[in-house]
Amino acid sequence: MSFVKKIIKPVEVLVVASKTGRVTIKYPFEEPWISPEFRGKIEIDPTKCIGCGACVNACPPNALEMIESEDKKTLRYFVGRCIFCWRCIDVCPVGAIKGTRNFELATNDPLDLYDYIVHNRVKCRECGKVTGETTRMLKYVLEKAFVTENYNNKCPDCRKKIFINAISMRRTGPVGEKT
Amino acid sequence: MEGEKLILDKYIELSRDMGGKASIEGDTVHIIVPSEKLVEAASKLFNEYQCDFRVCVGTDERPLNGYFTITHIFTDNRNGLYVLLKTYIEPQDPKVPSITNAVPGADWCEMEARDLLGIEFTGRTPYRLVLPPEWPKGLHPLRKDVPYNYRPQIRGVSEKVSTTTETGVIPIGPYHPALHEPEYFELYVEGEKVVDVKYRGFHVHRGIEKLGETRMTYQQVNFLAERICGICGFEHSSCYALAVEKAAKLDVPERAQFIRSIVLEVERIHSHLLWLGVAFHVLGYDTGFMHVWRIRERVMYLAELLTGSRKTYGINLIGGVRRDINEEKKQKTLEVLRELEKEYKGLIEVALSVPQVRKRASGTGVLPREDALKLSVEGPTARASGIDKDARRDLPYAAYKYASFRVPVYTEGDNLARLLVRVDELVESMAIIEQLLDKIPKGPILLEKYEIPEGRVGVQVVEAPRGGDVHFVITGHGKPYRWRVRAPTYSNIPALRVMLRDQPLADAPLTIASIDPCFSCTDRVLIVRENGRREWLRLTGGLKI
Ligand code: SF4
Ligand code: SF4
Repeated sequence: MSFVKKIIKPVEVLVVASKTGRVTIKYPFEEPWISPEFRGKIEIDPTKCIGCGACVNACPPNALEMIESEDKKTLRYFVGRCIFCWRCIDVCPVGAIKGTRNFELATNDPLDLYDYIVHNRVKCRECGKVTGETTRMLKYVLEKAFVTENYNNKCPDCRKKIFINAISMRRTGPVGEKT
Repeated sequence: MEGEKLILDKYIELSRDMGGKASIEGDTVHIIVPSEKLVEAASKLFNEYQCDFRVCVGTDERPLNGYFTITHIFTDNRNGLYVLLKTYIEPQDPKVPSITNAVPGADWCEMEARDLLGIEFTGRTPYRLVLPPEWPKGLHPLRKDVPYNYRPQIRGVSEKVSTTTETGVIPIGPYHPALHEPEYFELYVEGEKVVDVKYRGFHVHRGIEKLGETRMTYQQVNFLAERICGICGFEHSSCYALAVEKAAKLDVPERAQFIRSIVLEVERIHSHLLWLGVAFHVLGYDTGFMHVWRIRERVMYLAELLTGSRKTYGINLIGGVRRDINEEKKQKTLEVLRELEKEYKGLIEVALSVPQVRKRASGTGVLPREDALKLSVEGPTARASGIDKDARRDLPYAAYKYASFRVPVYTEGDNLARLLVRVDELVESMAIIEQLLDKIPKGPILLEKYEIPEGRVGVQVVEAPRGGDVHFVITGHGKPYRWRVRAPTYSNIPALRVMLRDQPLADAPLTIASIDPCFSCTDRVLIVRENGRREWLRLTGGLKI
């Protein structure tokens, strides 16, 4: 490189600058530059969610929590903790969670940061005790697996009782049949 | 292979000589020696076999076998082997000889084990590195009997800048003027010349290792690991996933490994561009800073397109990745790379022709090769001092064995060399992505079914933009039993003392920035004491360098 060229080389940045022009945009008046793959806030469809808690187990930062009370199970989503990994979407068995591209989450009401989905818990038909599952979970399981009428809607204790009764019946058997 | 067998024999012989035993698993040689032979064995590995010292790991194995253990992690870069030197320590009054006289780079990790596990190291001056001054005595957070959410009541003490009459004291920090992270340097100056340095870091202790060993599951830790660093997070999550996969001997789909490598290189490009911008800014060449960051924006968009997020990509899982690269994304990536390369090359040529950039960077902050070797520095800092090491080539992981690339090495050891290493690496990274995109095999991207047996050991080095990340995992039930993380800056900060000494004060900010320090990663589990008195930095365990 000749001496003069070397001296004026740094000035070439002016060419670069004028060619590029302005790159900043007038956000929020202009659309920000987001790719179609962007992961933003999640939305849980309260009509689809069955309250199984799979998402709660998968969520790394505990943004999803299951709050249990006497007769309710509440799924709580706190966006302040969410890291937008969408693991919950991967694991939800019924596809109740949808990812959005929304990242503009600022609000002046902290309550906006929470979403609640309240589920009723199943009562045992035998003894009336509240079991772990939600009513929707029970329905979901019944649709997927064939559990005899006798067993559903019953708490584990009562189920055990029925089972033992049934076995003992079979063991001794009604009198007079074979053997 | 004959040669390979000879090398392995060498390690087996070493362990036999030391009265220990050795076993080989994949690319890892496990050597267990009695503690009185530890120093001798470490010295032999480091000085004679020229293994690279990476880090040491203290573990509370009392629930498993009744002992504490310390594992020194070496890598044999020429033969692509990991060498783990382990010794058992009696649980009552745990004591083990220090290896810092033979391996100066072990200074910090030994003190970390002392603070967090209560293992005493004999034959060296101990000091408190990790825990705050008011921390209760005898409470060692990484011991298994301490719950992860236990918070002792401690009184905060405020720190004072040291005062001394001999030399002037210039505080830099507690926020780095360029990198916006918490750390604190005290420079002692005579006139314009820096005569010594004190580093006080570890303000951002987050207890990540403990959290990963207690509250989280294997898959969740991926996302936690990614948050160790805001710039090279994907290196950490890949390193963790690879370590677990190695421990469990999982056969991860090739396509997933390719995607990992591609995304790792995308991250390297954005990280180096970020650093170049910061370096130009520190040098007073803000035009360069603006333009480098402008072209970096393309890479951020690319990362978002490939993974779903600009940063903290969140696509790593044990067993593979979560996002595939389809034909459309592939074409888009190639397009972005082509434009980027053109713009980058033009820009960097202009930037390097600016007289003050070259003038201020050359000859300043020199790290001689011997010191770099002694302190086991990492990454571009090592490569600028003539140490030819790069885990991507030496200890191939993910899909790097399918790419051919050059490892730029400079011998000057000054700030300019560290700058040029990164400048060259950027071009290599772009070429690697192109090659891998071309060769990417078809197939699944995630292993659906697998099992992780308990009690296995996996260790992995991943070459992050700043140097080798090390993750060490002992598998446990549903989560890691022990998870040790070492970020490259952990090895590089001690070298700053050498670089800063006898240099004009005006060059200090550039020199500090030249190792591309990442303090939050370094601090992931650490805090340091300070008693207001002036104390010379004992970065090298009292060893004079
Ligand atoms: S996106 Fe991730 S962090 Fe957010 S709720 Fe779902 S699993 Fe939790
Ligand atoms: S995994 Fe789906 S169905 Fe189950 S609790 Fe979460 S959102 Fe509801």
